[in-house]
Amino acid sequence: MAPNQLILTDVTKRFGGLTAVDDLSFKVEDGQIYGIIGPNGAGKTTVFNCITGIYKSEEGSVKWRGEEIRGMTPYQIVDRGIVRTFQTIRLFSQMSVAENIMSGRHIKSKQGWWHGIVHTPASRRDELANWQKVEEQLDFFNLAQFAATPTGSLPYGIQRRVEMARAMAVEPTLLILDEPAAGLNDKETMELLQTIFKIRDKGVTVLLIEHDMDMVMEVTDYLTVINFGKKIADGTPEEIQKNPAVIEAYLGSEDDDDE
Amino acid sequence: MKKLQRFAYPAFLLVMAILPNLLDSRWQAVAITFLIFSVVALSQDIILGKSGMFNMGQALFFGLGAYTTAILNAKFGWPMLATVPLAILIPALFGILLAGPIVHLRGDYLLVTTIGFNIVFVQAVQNDLGGVTGGPNGIFGLDPMNIFGIQLANQLAVYYFAFAVLLATLWIMRNLEKSKAGRALHYLRLDQLAAESIGINTRVFKIFAFGLGAGIAGLAGTVYATQYAAVSPEAFDFIQSVLFFSIVIVGGSSIPGVFLGVFIMFVLPEIFREFATWRFFIFGFAMIAAMILRPRGIWPATFGKIPKFLIKESNHGA
Repeated sequence: MAPNQLILTDVTKRFGGLTAVDDLSFKVEDGQIYGIIGPNGAGKTTVFNCITGIYKSEEGSVKWRGEEIRGMTPYQIVDRGIVRTFQTIRLFSQMSVAENIMSGRHIKSKQGWWHGIVHTPASRRDELANWQKVEEQLDFFNLAQFAATPTGSLPYGIQRRVEMARAMAVEPTLLILDEPAAGLNDKETMELLQTIFKIRDKGVTVLLIEHDMDMVMEVTDYLTVINFGKKIADGTPEEIQKNPAVIEAYLGSEDDDDE
Repeated sequence: MKKLQRFAYPAFLLVMAILPNLLDSRWQAVAITFLIFSVVALSQDIILGKSGMFNMGQALFFGLGAYTTAILNAKFGWPMLATVPLAILIPALFGILLAGPIVHLRGDYLLVTTIGFNIVFVQAVQNDLGGVTGGPNGIFGLDPMNIFGIQLANQLAVYYFAFAVLLATLWIMRNLEKSKAGRALHYLRLDQLAAESIGINTRVFKIFAFGLGAGIAGLAGTVYATQYAAVSPEAFDFIQSVLFFSIVIVGGSSIPGVFLGVFIMFVLPEIFREFATWRFFIFGFAMIAAMILRPRGIWPATFGKIPKFLIKESNHGA
């Protein structure tokens, strides 16, 4: 099997006259925590949407384990081990935490559609086995006490954790996090860092977009900086911090705003 | 609440099992209608309530089942019981074929399309399509249902046949809730993009919902044909679809909600017969009031039915 590499080559996505992603190339290696940063409106989320099949880029190629995934549907891409979270949390808010995480077990479940009509001993075993996997995620993300609580009534920070638990329930090879620290306080952000490291230690490659620069510098192994859809720099966090083009485009203004 | 449900369901079913023996023939007919329409409304709940697809053509599948039974019995001499498999499969197949090209449509567009299907169906049977539908008069003089030697010759027997169909439907609904397919419907209704992003092929499960809902409605159609020993086009008109749609919206996407909706719509008008002509007026206001006061229906779907071993601290229970 080809290695767990995600390679974007010359990906371009246009909306009418606007080029949201312009000739972007980067490579995520197996086991990395890879960051994509850039100012607001730089096209970061659009890149994620192109990878996960929500958009189809007009040009370029998105290769995962040597296979072209550009043009596949979101569920086909999930089936290949790439799972994402959303910047604006998208949970099934009326449903409980456990049911939300159970949705991540959908593609792992062996049940056919007919088991929705008639259960069999095999389908009952499968059902139980998947709920047990949900229990693992509840424990991993320290959510056990909220198992039966509707997600809509939970604080923002916990909802973020539920969304990550749901994604991890799919047992992904590549986890894509869209601004996982958005809306979190410092304590929650620290917990998130630990969680991301723990996820990586399980052998999952992590690709993330983040605004919180301190967090990005601390958590990522490698970074790509984009602005106006174009790559302006890439390198390790140390290299990026020294790069004048990045400071010009992003770091300077961001620091002025925040601190 | 959970305790209430544990006792309420057996108690309700027990009452329904005894009920027809206490009723005269007119009320037995009302009770059978309640059972049949409950089954159709439950099938509509799979499509509309669980999957969130604005299907305004459920009477089409109901009618397709009834006509399948009627045509096979009256024109081809099949025993009534033998028509049951086809009366489920043909509507289910139509459900799948009709849903295929339309399930990607957004709510309002899907709604208009399904109205169109319903109208086409009624026009087709009224105009005696293929010379077997009996035109505007429909088909009458069907044989009584004969279930392995038991002749459903009187209303009481038909009632228990309808009751058995309702129980089977409730059993399927329960199985659906505790399955991957059933949960997928909830997920795709609540957030389609999120559902696809965790790997659900929403198109397949939407078509599944249509097929299953249509098959169950078709079976209800057979019961309907058995009750009246006849079928006619106006019973499956678009306005019937509106009623089934409204029952699920007003009652709520839950089994008690559907029963409540059917009771309000079909049984209350019989109880207050002198107000029968007012029933759309009253139901219209009930719809308006329910949607303002309880936008998810009088008795909405409840979630959080998860295995006990997952509930660690009861104080957080929903």
